[in-house]
Amino acid sequence: MLYANSVALSRRKLLSVLMTSMGMGLMPASLGAAPRNRPVREFHLRAAANRAVPDARLSGPTDVWTYNNSVPGPELRVRQGDRVRVRVTNGLAEPTTVHWHGVRVPNAMDGVPHVTQAPIPPDGNFVYEFDAVDAGTYWYHPHYRSYEQVGRGLYGPLIVEEPDPVRADRDLTWILDDWRLGPDGLIRDDFGNRHDMAHNGRVGNTVTINGRPPAGLSVRGGERIRLRLVNAANARIFSLDFEGHAPTIIALDGQPVSPHSPKDGLVLLGPAMRADIILDMHGEPGSRFAITDRFYRGLEYQLSEFNYASTPLRSEAPDWKMDLPPNPIPEPLTRGASRHEVVFNGGMMGRGMGAGNSGGMMNMMRRSGIWSVNGMSVEGHFMEPFLMLDRDRSHVISMTNATAWHHPIHLHGHSFRVLSRDGIPTRHQEWQDTVMMAPREKIDIALVADNPGDWMFHCHILEHQAAGMMGVIRVN
Amino acid sequence: MRRLLSLVLATLLISAAFPAFAKDHSVEATLFKNPQCGCCENYATYLRENGFTVVVKPTHELAQMSRMAGIPEEFQGCHISMIDGYVVSGHVPVASILRLLNDQPKIVGITLPGMPQGSPGMSGIKSGPFTIFEIGSPSPQVYEID
Repeated sequence: MLYANSVALSRRKLLSVLMTSMGMGLMPASLGAAPRNRPVREFHLRAAANRAVPDARLSGPTDVWTYNNSVPGPELRVRQGDRVRVRVTNGLAEPTTVHWHGVRVPNAMDGVPHVTQAPIPPDGNFVYEFDAVDAGTYWYHPHYRSYEQVGRGLYGPLIVEEPDPVRADRDLTWILDDWRLGPDGLIRDDFGNRHDMAHNGRVGNTVTINGRPPAGLSVRGGERIRLRLVNAANARIFSLDFEGHAPTIIALDGQPVSPHSPKDGLVLLGPAMRADIILDMHGEPGSRFAITDRFYRGLEYQLSEFNYASTPLRSEAPDWKMDLPPNPIPEPLTRGASRHEVVFNGGMMGRGMGAGNSGGMMNMMRRSGIWSVNGMSVEGHFMEPFLMLDRDRSHVISMTNATAWHHPIHLHGHSFRVLSRDGIPTRHQEWQDTVMMAPREKIDIALVADNPGDWMFHCHILEHQAAGMMGVIRVN
Repeated sequence: MRRLLSLVLATLLISAAFPAFAKDHSVEATLFKNPQCGCCENYATYLRENGFTVVVKPTHELAQMSRMAGIPEEFQGCHISMIDGYVVSGHVPVASILRLLNDQPKIVGITLPGMPQGSPGMSGIKSGPFTIFEIGSPSPQVYEID
């Protein structure tokens, strides 16, 4: 197990206290007032600080911030085509918003403070309403001081079911997160410190699955599992190795992709990214297989494990098809598309370091201005667009990561095709809303700008976003 | 993880009580670095080339370790080396480390903030003197200008 020592016990206890009150708060779907053929699914989310006493030996309680008193927030599960209406109540002592990550919502429902809406003040409410146009695995989280609000536990899954889903014995959601806990079991209060902002963000020391310390997953031979993986961590990148098993990726960031095995069998998930995988369980009764996160060299650890029951479900893996039906996304034309360049720069070991406009390295160590998009480093959400896209036209955006660090780059309001990496066409031309850029990597993406409005375009390592790695793209 | 940190802290505390040793041997350094930071590896190589025995340990706890060592945010280097009971933060040139080990001042250690171009392990050309600070007070004093 991860951090299998006495400290882990108190952490475990902490987290189990936090998560005991799962399952409340999901209001039943509205029965009346739904337009014909398009049911309205109504939910209520209340963001609030909770105090939990994680361990009787500790002197004080720990602050976590939750939706409906649970981490993660309730799973909002709707069907493709449903109208979704979510009333959000802000019980925090500071403003907040909710962003529906990956869902192609109207601009006013996107949850970006000062860009698409005024922040929801303490004790305020906001009603989000949109159509679940795409099936798939999505999630919701605040977009206001997200490096702390998400980091303290404000996030939850939003699952949009296909009318005709792929067949599996079980459909599971794993929201991965990590927490930075001190030796006292409390969340360390160093959100937004300069070291994290200038390096690879706030990577924690305690990993959880669905808000709990990972336990093994009980499985049966011959079983087929659809596992929806969501990375809700501020900064941690996962590279999951399912020992002895071959995961088949069927969707990325909610969008169907040709079923395939990932490179080296490892499922790579940057912050905010999702992967739907099919796992055919073929182990012997009573056997165990480790699930290991291998992303950071020298810091690999066992995340979880498969524990096989003594009796198999069936003798052989089922031959059910794995292809998901495509979502209704307009297909970009690459020939004749408008082309745009975006360069990400900054950070430790960045090319601009120590040179140029001002105090060199000491400037770099300041909170803002550490990272930049096309030479601009923006703090807060008050900003003019840096890129204009003509509506309903095809666009190719050539992105260059000129930094020495990984960046999961997220575009709001659209999914885009990942055309190429370092000039080499991607095999699956996958749709994503958050694409992982390796250090110095160049990636071309393409989209039809069919959703009018001002859309955030930013690194989803939340410390990088807060330190300048974001901008606004206007579709007009 | 906590065990690691307490080890570091213990080392910090002990360093005040026990003076230097082992001048004749290869000096041992333990370098704690961000797992994704390449220049820290270059710095480890630089130390090795200068006769140090270096153990590199990747960690996600550098912000906390710098804080525990008493280095204010704007004075932090990008990695931390533990050398002969002293904290050496960032890309400090070997000459300064040797002086530290030789003089045995009653300080926690020294730091070269940030990642200046042209410093050991870093690329680029040195464009001005490096200011190395003492660690141990809220407003660090200049230890050496190199």
